[in-house]
Amino acid sequence: MNDAANTDRWIRWLNTLQLVLAGVVIMAPTVWMVLSSFKPSFEVTAYPPTMIFSPTLENYVALTKTTPFLSYALNSLIVTVGSTALGLLFGIPAAFAVSWTRISWPAILTLAARMAPGTLFLLPWYVMFRQIGMIGSYTALILSHAVITLPIVIWVLLPSFDGIPRSVFEAAQVDGCSVTRILWRIALPLVASGVAVSAILAFVFSWNYFLFALVLSNGDTKTLIAAAFNFIGEGSTQWGALMAAATLIALPPLVLAALVQRWLVSGLTLGAVKG
Amino acid sequence: MASISIRNLTKRYGNFTVIPDLNLEIADHEFVVFVGPSGCGKSTLLRIIAGLEPISSGDLYIGDKRVNGVQAARRDIAMVFQDYALYPHMRVYDNMSFALELRGTPKAEIDARVKRAAALLHIEPYLDRKPKELSGGQRQRVAMGRAIVRNPKAFLFDEPLSNLDAKLRGQVRAEIKALSQELKTTMVFVTHDQIEAMTMADRIVVLQSGTIQQYDTPETVYERPANQFVAGFIGSPAMNFFPVEWHEERAVLSQGGTVVPLDGETTGRLSKAGNAVLGIRPEHFAVATDAADGIAINVKLVEPLGSDTLIHFDLASASAIARVDPALRPKVGDRINLRPQPGKTHLFDSASGQVLR
Repeated sequence: MNDAANTDRWIRWLNTLQLVLAGVVIMAPTVWMVLSSFKPSFEVTAYPPTMIFSPTLENYVALTKTTPFLSYALNSLIVTVGSTALGLLFGIPAAFAVSWTRISWPAILTLAARMAPGTLFLLPWYVMFRQIGMIGSYTALILSHAVITLPIVIWVLLPSFDGIPRSVFEAAQVDGCSVTRILWRIALPLVASGVAVSAILAFVFSWNYFLFALVLSNGDTKTLIAAAFNFIGEGSTQWGALMAAATLIALPPLVLAALVQRWLVSGLTLGAVKG
Repeated sequence: MASISIRNLTKRYGNFTVIPDLNLEIADHEFVVFVGPSGCGKSTLLRIIAGLEPISSGDLYIGDKRVNGVQAARRDIAMVFQDYALYPHMRVYDNMSFALELRGTPKAEIDARVKRAAALLHIEPYLDRKPKELSGGQRQRVAMGRAIVRNPKAFLFDEPLSNLDAKLRGQVRAEIKALSQELKTTMVFVTHDQIEAMTMADRIVVLQSGTIQQYDTPETVYERPANQFVAGFIGSPAMNFFPVEWHEERAVLSQGGTVVPLDGETTGRLSKAGNAVLGIRPEHFAVATDAADGIAINVKLVEPLGSDTLIHFDLASASAIARVDPALRPKVGDRINLRPQPGKTHLFDSASGQVLR
C-alpha cells in the first residue's frame, strides 16, 4: 500500500517536472523576445543577457516611424482572413464529403500538400502568378495561404464529422434532406465548436506564415511577418525593432488562443455527439 | 399508406451475399415484424426498404411505384432508429417539424400536426426541450412523433425498443401496437426479440442467413413452425428437441431408447419417417400421475416464475425445460413423470429440419 502511494507521488512529481521543463522550453524564447523589445538597442545583444534594465518604448517608436506598420498589419489581416475564409469555404464541405463517403485519400492528399516544404510550391506559383500578372496581389497571397488553411480545416473537422452518429444523417435522409442540406442544417450546427477551432488554427498558421508572402507580395501587399524580415540586414540587424515587430506580430494569435483556450481543447478533442 | 413488394431481391457486399433472392409481399395497413438472430439480414432488409442501402438485384415496390433507384428522401417513408437518431441541436418541436418544413408544409399545419402527435404520445411538456434533456423513453416517443407527423406511406422501426429497460419496453411495445391500430398505416418492425414479434405483428417474417424461414401470423408461426429453426427461435423458453426413432412399433428416444408416449397422429408420421427430431414446447409437457404414461425425469433446477414454474432436466443427453403448474412445487432431485400433450408435438426431418406433416 505504501509502495503504491510512493510510486503515485513520484509519478505526480515527475509529471510536474515535465510540465515545468516543457513550459520553460516553450516560453523562454517568447519571454526573451518580449523583454528584448523593451530594451535599449545596445542591450539587446549584450552578453551575458541583462535581466535588469530600464524598459523603453524606443524600439516600438522606431518601428512605427520607420515602417508603414499599420499597412502591413492590414495586409496581414486581409490575407489571413481571406485565406481562412477560403479554407473554411472549401474545407467544411471537403471534410464532410470525406466523412460521408469514407473515402480518405483526398484528405491525405491535402495533408501531404501541407507537409511538403513551401519552397516546393514557390517556383511554380511564382511563374504562374507572374504569367497572369498577379504577383503582389492579395488574391495570389490568399490563394497560396489556402494551402496552409485548407488542410487544417479538413483535418480538424474530420473527427468532428466522424463523431456524429451515422443514424442522425440517415434520419435526415429519410426526413427528406439532400446531402447538401444535411451538411448545412444537421452536420454544421453539430460541429460548430470544431469549425471555430479550425478557423482559429487556420488564422494563426496563416498569420505566421512567412515564405509565400516574402516572394509573392510586393511593397503594397507585404504582410507583417515578411516586412519584419527587412530589419535583418546584411551588415547589421536591428534586433530591437525586430523584437518589437515580432512581439506585435505574436500578439493577435496569443490573445486569440488565450481567449478561446478552453474551447480550443474541447474542439480539438471533439468526437462523439451525444443525443 | 401503401403495400410493399419485394421481388427476387439480392443484396451483396462485395463477394458476400447477405440476402439471396428474397420475395416478400407486405399488404397495405399491415404490421409486419422481421425477426431473426444477429446477422440474419433483417436490418439490411429494412434499410433497403428505407432507401439507405442499394439493391444488388431484384425489385422493390412501395405501392405501385418501383423505387429501386429512388433516394430515401423521396420514398415518403418514416423510420425510427435503434438509437433514436434525434437531431441533438434541435428542440423536440423542431425535431418533429423538420421533415414537414422541408416539404414546405404551411406553418399552421405543421404546428397542428406536431401538437396532435405530441398529444398522442404524451410528450407535450417536452416540446421545448433538447433531446439530451429527455430520458430514453421520452426520446423514443419523440422519435416516433417525428415519424407520425409525416403521415408517411409506411413506418419502419429498426429495433427501437432495444435501448429501453424491460418495464419501459413492455409499455412502449403496447403503445406502438395501439398506435398501429389507430394510424392504420403499413408498419415494418425489426427486432431480435421474439416476444416483441409475437405481441405486435399481424404477420411475422422469420429470417435466417437472409432467407425467409416462415412468413405467417404469430399464432401459426408458434403453433405450426415450418422448420426446426423457426420452432427453436419462436417461443420462450425455446422448444425442446429430442432425436427419436421408430423402433419395434414404438417411438423411442434415439439416445437411451426411452419410450416416448406420443399421440396417434405423431406416431403415424414417425412410423413413416423412421427417425426424426421431436419438438416439444416447455408448456406442452403434462405431469403424468402414472409412471407408465410418461417419461421419468430428475429435476435438475427449479425456476418459480409465480404464474408457473420451470423445471430443468436432462433427457437423452440434452438439457430440457418443462413449464408446470406452480402448485406442483417441485424440488431439485425430485423424480417426476412428464408426457407430451396430445396434438402439441412437432416432428422435424433429421436431415433438412423441415417439419414432417
